Order: sequence, then structure tokens, then C-alpha cells
Amino acid sequence: MIISSQKEFKEILRALKEKNIFIIGCGKCATKLHVGGEPEVLEMRKKLTKAGKNIVGWTVLSSACNISSWDDVLAQNPGIGKSDALLVMSCGGGVSVISSLSERQVYPALDTESLGGMRLEDTMKELCRMCGECTVWEFGGICPVSQCPKGLLNGPCGGAMEGKCEVDERTCAWDEIYERQKSLGKLGNLVIVHEPRDHSRNKRGLKV
Amino acid sequence: MSFESKLDEGKFVVTAEISPPKGTDTSGLLKDASIINGFADAINITDNQRAVMRMSPVAACSILESKGYETIMHVTCRDRNRIALQSELLGAYALGIKNILVMSGDHPVKGDHQGAKPVYDLDSVQLLGLIQKLNSGFDFSGNRLDGKTNFCIGAVTNIELNEIALMKLEKKISQGVRFIQTQAVFDIEKFSGFLDRIKDSGISRSRIIAGIIPLKSEKNARFLNKNIAGIKVPEIVIDQLKNASNPETRGMEIAARLIKELHGMCGGVHIMPIGNHEKTKDILEMAGII
Repeated sequence: MIISSQKEFKEILRALKEKNIFIIGCGKCATKLHVGGEPEVLEMRKKLTKAGKNIVGWTVLSSACNISSWDDVLAQNPGIGKSDALLVMSCGGGVSVISSLSERQVYPALDTESLGGMRLEDTMKELCRMCGECTVWEFGGICPVSQCPKGLLNGPCGGAMEGKCEVDERTCAWDEIYERQKSLGKLGNLVIVHEPRDHSRNKRGLKV
Repeated sequence: MSFESKLDEGKFVVTAEISPPKGTDTSGLLKDASIINGFADAINITDNQRAVMRMSPVAACSILESKGYETIMHVTCRDRNRIALQSELLGAYALGIKNILVMSGDHPVKGDHQGAKPVYDLDSVQLLGLIQKLNSGFDFSGNRLDGKTNFCIGAVTNIELNEIALMKLEKKISQGVRFIQTQAVFDIEKFSGFLDRIKDSGISRSRIIAGIIPLKSEKNARFLNKNIAGIKVPEIVIDQLKNASNPETRGMEIAARLIKELHGMCGGVHIMPIGNHEKTKDILEMAGII
């Protein structure tokens, strides 16, 4: 699941210069996280109308990042044709897909934070950094690349105090990794000296 | 005799920490170095410590080396990727810098440029491994160097370690570490416990250099306890400062007594004053080291 949060409304207004706006929500992660589903789209419509915008229509796509026919979307949402700009309440993936399909200016209403998940009712953030070389099993299923703010592969830094990370209030990821490996009976994995990561495996900015 | 030779011969070494200037004026740096001239075996130069931006340690070390001081250059993993680290290390060696102290480095959010990109392309274990490689005449990718380095490399540690932190220290030691400088020591029993825990890690205690911070006041001690990871000034020491008519002098006495006790236990002491080195000589004299 992609973890996103809503931008501050004033930030959205600052970017949104156009008058006639069509709002697009997303039925997947943004709906589950209550940041871009139908109730949030309707709330956004209300706020934008109050701010003087003309909302020419809205929809919640089943998945903003997975659009098989833009023509179908246009046919089902004639409001898009009357709009000057689209406001997309999905992750950056959805915003980018829609930007690539639409001829109109597309604005994001959300900030995309991380690849996470939901465990029962808990939202889990920053579970994966999509590094392109998954070795999470060596760390008991707790990824230090995403869970440790320094992404340290060979153990903790000296910055934690009373088990808390130096960056914020989170528990030191390496204490969690140690406890997990201990309970799995796999402390031996922690003795491995890990080589630096191969960043060419992470295709960011490279043509794939 | 060089810092490394003294370590090799088991002499009790004294190192002293100085921060490069926040700006281009090096007069404070040179003055602080001159105060400890003659009895500090090497001067540690910090690398933008606490993630507060300062002059490059390569430049500060090079300036001091050109004046005849031996330096230990701190290198953190925070700001440079493997290309920049190697490039800087080669430059440092060519400028006469022979000793390197490796650490992860405080996260940018701790400092005065909180929006800076945290790099950490390598961690401290990997950086130590990389320097070993440069010492053997090859770069990270295995290309042969035209002139290799011969760095004496050190690592840092807190003295109270949980199991995973101890495992990390053992990994560091496995990467060719010649010396270890510790976070400030205030409790000899805890330091002794630390030495016992690492006795089978492959580094002799004559290569462990214990950190010393001369305390200036009760407030100062409490600040360190609250804000600096790995530092625990015991309440009994804080009480001594609290009840002293001159807390700064008391702090110097406490530091001197610690140094006296550490002499014979480990390979040396590393003095990290709050402020400058004005009192460092007095403390070492009180400890009977010089």
C-alpha cells in the first residue's frame, strides 16, 4: 500500500490557479487511508467551492494508477472536458499516470510518503524503500533500509538513547531486528558483514 | 614518534579534540592547537559534528599538519557517497593526513541544515572496509590506485553496549581497526566492564582510547545526560559538582582522577573539552600524565 497524506488546503489553493476544476479520487490506497476516497473528494469539492472555484465534476476511479482506457474515463466523466485542470487525490503514481493521459494540467492533492501497509487497524509506514535488491529476510523481516533513518546495514549507530532513535521517537530499528532474530533463533544472521548496496539496482532516474 | 608508532609500542597516548571553525577564520583553531602543543600526541578534527556545518576536516587537518601537528581526521558517512569519500580520502592522504576516525555521523535533522539529504551510502563498517581497500592499493570497484594510502584507521564506540551494538563494534574491529576512541567515560567500573566485554574481539586494550569530557557544572552534566547519546554522568559525580565551591575546578579534579585510573587500564585518553583546551594541560598535570 502507498502511504499518502493530504496536503494543506492552502498549499493546494496556492498551486491551483485555474477556475474550473475536476476532482479525481482513487479507490485503492487513498480510499483505505481516508485521504482520497469519496468522502474526502466531496469534502474537497465543498472547500474548493467555498474558496471560489467552480467544480465541474468529480469521480473516484477504481485505481488512479491503473487506467486501461482514458477514453472510457472521459466518456463516463464529461465534466473533465469542461475543466481547466484536474486535481488528483491519489499517490504520485496515480497523478503521474493521469498526467501522462490527460492534456490538461494535473495537480496532486496528496503527498506520497512511503510504501507501507495495514496490519489489522494499524497503518504501517515506510516498510520498503523499493531499493531493487530485497534482503529483508536477513534482518528478520524488518528492513533497515526503510526503518533506520540512516539505512544502516551492519547494526545500529551510536545515536539511540534509551532505545529511541536519534531522529524521532521511534524505537531503534536495530533493537527490533535483534529481538526478532533472537525469537527466530537466527542471531547468526546478524554477524554477516553486509556489503554496500548496489544503487544501480534501484532504477530511479534510469531508463528501464 | 607518530601516533601510530606510540600505539604500536603500547605508550599511553593523549589525543585532543578540536572542531574546525564555522567560517574561514582559522585563528581559533590554531590557537587551540598551540595550547596543547607538546603533550597531545594527535589532534582529532571533527567532521561537521552534531550535523552542524563547519569547515571541512580535510582543510583543517591539512592546515594543522602543515604546522607540524599530527591529526586524526574524522570521517562520517552522512554527507558523501562512495565516490566523494574515496576522493576525499585520497586527497587527505596526499596532504599528509595519516589517521582516520570513522563514524556513521549524526543525522542532518540534529543539526543546522535539517533539510539536507542524509547520504549514508556506506555505513561505518563498510567505510572501514573501503579504507582497508585503499590501503591495499585498490578503489571500491577494484581499480588499481596510482599510489596507495597507508591510513591508520580507528572506530568509535559507546561504552555501554547492548548485544546488537556489541556485534556492530565487533564488525568494525574485523575491518582492520587499529584503535578505538570511546564516548566520554565517567564511571571506571562501567569502562572496566566494557573492556571485559570486548577482550575477545581482536583488539588489545592498549589500543582503546578512553574519552574524557571535563565537566564544568551540574547543569552542564545534566545537559550531556539528556542530549548526548552514550553519555551517562552518574548522580554521585553530579552531586560533587553541585556541592563544590568552584564546580569547574571540581570538574577538572574529576577528569584528572579518571585519567589517573585509566592510565594502565587502556591505551590512552581522548580529551573533548566543552569549549577550548585552556584547562587541558592542568588536568593532565593533575593526573600525573605530563
